Amino acid sequence: MRMSHGLWGDAWRRLLRNRPALLGLGLIAVFLVSAIAAQWLTPYDPYRGVLAQRLQPPTLAHLMGTDLQGRDELTRVLYGARISLQVGVSAVVMAFVLGGVAGALAGGFGGWIDAVVMRVTDVMLAVPGILLAIAIVAWLGQGLPQLMIAIAASYTPTFARLLRGSLLVLRESDYVTAARSEGATSWRILLRHMLPNALTPLIVQATLVLATAIIDIAGLGFLGLGPQDPATPEWGTMLTDATERIYSTPWLVLFPGVAIATAAIGFNLLGDGLRESLDPRLKR
Amino acid sequence: MALLEVRDLVVRFRTHDGTVYAVNGVSLDVEQGETLGLVGESGCGKSVTNLAVMRLLPRPAGRVEGGQVCFEGIDLAAVPESQMRELRGRDIAMIFQDPMTSLNPVLTIEEQMVETIRAHREVGRAEARDRAVELLRTVGIPRPETRLKSFPHQFSGGMRQRVMIAMALALQPKLLIADEPTTALDVTIQAQVLELLQRLTSERGTAVILITHDLGVVAGMTRRVYVMYAGFVVETATTAELFAHPRHPYTVGLLHSIPRLDASEGEPLIPIEGTPPDLRRAPAGCPFAPRCAWRLPACWKQNPTLEPLEPGTILERTGPRATHRIACWNPPSGEEAAAGRPLREGFVPASPPETATGGAASGGLVAEDLVVFEPESEFLTALLGAHGLPDPPEEGRGR
Repeated sequence: MRMSHGLWGDAWRRLLRNRPALLGLGLIAVFLVSAIAAQWLTPYDPYRGVLAQRLQPPTLAHLMGTDLQGRDELTRVLYGARISLQVGVSAVVMAFVLGGVAGALAGGFGGWIDAVVMRVTDVMLAVPGILLAIAIVAWLGQGLPQLMIAIAASYTPTFARLLRGSLLVLRESDYVTAARSEGATSWRILLRHMLPNALTPLIVQATLVLATAIIDIAGLGFLGLGPQDPATPEWGTMLTDATERIYSTPWLVLFPGVAIATAAIGFNLLGDGLRESLDPRLKR
Repeated sequence: MALLEVRDLVVRFRTHDGTVYAVNGVSLDVEQGETLGLVGESGCGKSVTNLAVMRLLPRPAGRVEGGQVCFEGIDLAAVPESQMRELRGRDIAMIFQDPMTSLNPVLTIEEQMVETIRAHREVGRAEARDRAVELLRTVGIPRPETRLKSFPHQFSGGMRQRVMIAMALALQPKLLIADEPTTALDVTIQAQVLELLQRLTSERGTAVILITHDLGVVAGMTRRVYVMYAGFVVETATTAELFAHPRHPYTVGLLHSIPRLDASEGEPLIPIEGTPPDLRRAPAGCPFAPRCAWRLPACWKQNPTLEPLEPGTILERTGPRATHRIACWNPPSGEEAAAGRPLREGFVPASPPETATGGAASGGLVAEDLVVFEPESEFLTALLGAHGLPDPPEEGRGR
């Protein structure tokens, strides 16, 4: 008999055998280390530069060069990871929780709750996500919390629909009928039998959404809807400043761009890997 | 008083493509401690009947539209849902066909068994766990203490079905509904699981409704049998009587489609021609008529009711002397049943009446297909004419 490591243990083992997912984990590790340890990784200040050293190309002292105000670009990229991580993770968690609760009520109980939740998500999904986010930032004003709310709002309906769909399938599954035939209450069936089984696609989706959320944050920042203080080291905002000088100082576009891509690709690869390792059809 | 009495149960499903006439007036009785067989092809209403008894029909599509279900004399339709929930698992338990999908994949066997026990008994976690270990040992799972920590996917199909049996019998129910409990298992495992089921239920005096399409299983396990077809009970008798003297053409057909070791060499298997009727059409006439070799003109018009084979006998619904009853206008004689075909001189099965619904249905199909392709109207008219159908209405074309 094979030793049991539990459902998650087995999934983890499968994930570690998946090379693209491992690469994704590696990229995410770089991203996380930059975000958490930025102040120990660099001697420079992300907000204050030395004007005498402005617009320097990459050198040993400044590996990614310096920007218009003489700030070390590497330092700003590292601190930028912190902003993306904070805003991205909190937005996805918020969307996950709100969408999850709405989807659970809709799929678990059906009836008018389902109808109301689904019509609201239809309306929200009818508006393109980035447009919805722009509208919310325009309404609530600029700032990182507003950015977080805007991105959370644009992804909430996705989670609600996904969970509702899984629950509808599970409601007809044999083991849910079996649980009902054993006299379990509807709450118990929803919380203990249906939600845990519906959670894996949601977790995969959250990982994939994190990748797009990071791009959205940068996108909104690039459009000037990012943090209130333009000096904040946010990747998208950094790009806006740099595009004007793309031919004379291309490194100021290249490095933030690479950072955005790396973080997004990392979460994408991990999401795909998770999908494969958690897929019940591939269970051995 | 029988343990379970089902009277004239009618179940329908309202779906997007119309009403499904799933169960059309089924009556059956289960005595304390007896094992009853419910036989028929897939989709004949066996499982739906039992889901209706448990009040577990998929909602909102499935509805009980008539009849009565009494368990220990209590009308189950009148019982509030909370009381029904207590009854499920404690008094009536179920075993499902596919053990691979009937256990929750993310919970360990321990979590699932303990949960079931504690849903009905005021016992602590440890006590429920001890009970689960004991139950797993009873159903023949080796090293139950360790296996309790396993997940369903770490068990084989046969072992999972044993776990299902253990869970179903955990609360000593009075009635166990086993819905094709061995269909998904290997033949060698089937016998073991059936033997286990029989031993445990007879030890505890549990009544069993054994749903199956396998007459071999029925012969070995049950005392009485109900044969179902298209949502109707078409024949019922004690098992011995049914196998010795089958009298409904459908039962005769079923018995002749089993390969037998004692048959003389070269004796052909006689398959039942055709397929079960589409339950989306309201039943008119005997549902088996289109496939029946003994059909009379009357069979197309009116559905026979379930009547005692010998008119005038005192009707005994249950017990060892249960009256042999059939629903048939033209039951095969003993010799015919043995031969599996009509032996009467010059007998020809009655052809369907001209005005039958079959014609209209094919008209609908022909027209629908042609409308999609927007054909020349003369071609459509000619084609319909060739099928003996009227011209299509104007508005039906070129949609």
